[in-house]
Amino acid sequence: MAAKMAYDEKKILEMLREDSISKRRAFEAIVNNFSEQLYWQIRHMVLSHDDANDILQNTFIKAWLNIDSFMGYSKISTWLYRIAVNETLTFLNRQQRTISIDIESDETDIKNTLESDPYFDGDETEIMLQKAIAALPDKQRLVFNMKYFNEMTYEEISEALGTSVGALKASYHIAVKKIKSFFDNSD
Amino acid sequence: MKKEDNILEKYSGRRPFTTPEGYFENLTANIMAVLPQEESGQESTVKVTMWMRIKPYVYIAAAFAGIFFCVRLALGTTSKDDNMQIAQTEEMTIYTDEYIDSFLETTMIDDYTIYYSLVDINN
Repeated sequence: MAAKMAYDEKKILEMLREDSISKRRAFEAIVNNFSEQLYWQIRHMVLSHDDANDILQNTFIKAWLNIDSFMGYSKISTWLYRIAVNETLTFLNRQQRTISIDIESDETDIKNTLESDPYFDGDETEIMLQKAIAALPDKQRLVFNMKYFNEMTYEEISEALGTSVGALKASYHIAVKKIKSFFDNSD
Repeated sequence: MKKEDNILEKYSGRRPFTTPEGYFENLTANIMAVLPQEESGQESTVKVTMWMRIKPYVYIAAAFAGIFFCVRLALGTTSKDDNMQIAQTEEMTIYTDEYIDSFLETTMIDDYTIYYSLVDINN
């Protein structure tokens, strides 16, 4: 994650404290640097492109509105990840409240959503994998997606989520075990 | 279990999702376009009036005054009660046993009259 950054965080933080034009320019650099990785993180959680796009926009709007309260104690990426995670979990909770909580129908919903999504190009096994991931608790799903799909290291995930590396390793291994058992049971 | 291991290995790091064409090229511009324009300038142009500055202090002072008033009221009532109690005690201590004995002997009052007067006093 850090290797991709071609921008100077210290300079960005200085610009954020300057006049409104500099502040906006600094924020544009932040958006440019983090939008894609945040998009994928959100997309793996909500599956639909349109939902991911909406949540990503809300994440940056929230960050922009609260930029003055960001004191620079943590990295900008950590701060943004936390906002994105909160926005995503809020969205998922709201969605769960409006849609049936029946697991069987949830699985069918995921299958139908993915099969009809023009921006999904996975095969049958990948649909099964998404169903298995969707059945995980939110935190495990987050950690699994970050590690498995985004190939982030435990240290990077720890920095982004503010969770210890040990706890993340445990979450990931439990998630892998559950996914394997999901495939095992579906045979 | 072997099959499941292979599945996870096979798809690791592969994203089964795609995006509309050119989505990431325009993403920064699209996000910047939806941000509130005047947000950063707004804060610097908001005029801080004298009332806005002193308002928190006024509220704190009012709260303290309220607390002080309540405490004062409570203490004032208590001291009044105490004074009444002290006065009653003083009144009661005037009538010693010797005084009452001599009073009973000289006035020739029987027990019923004493009882009656006590009940009458309490009522």
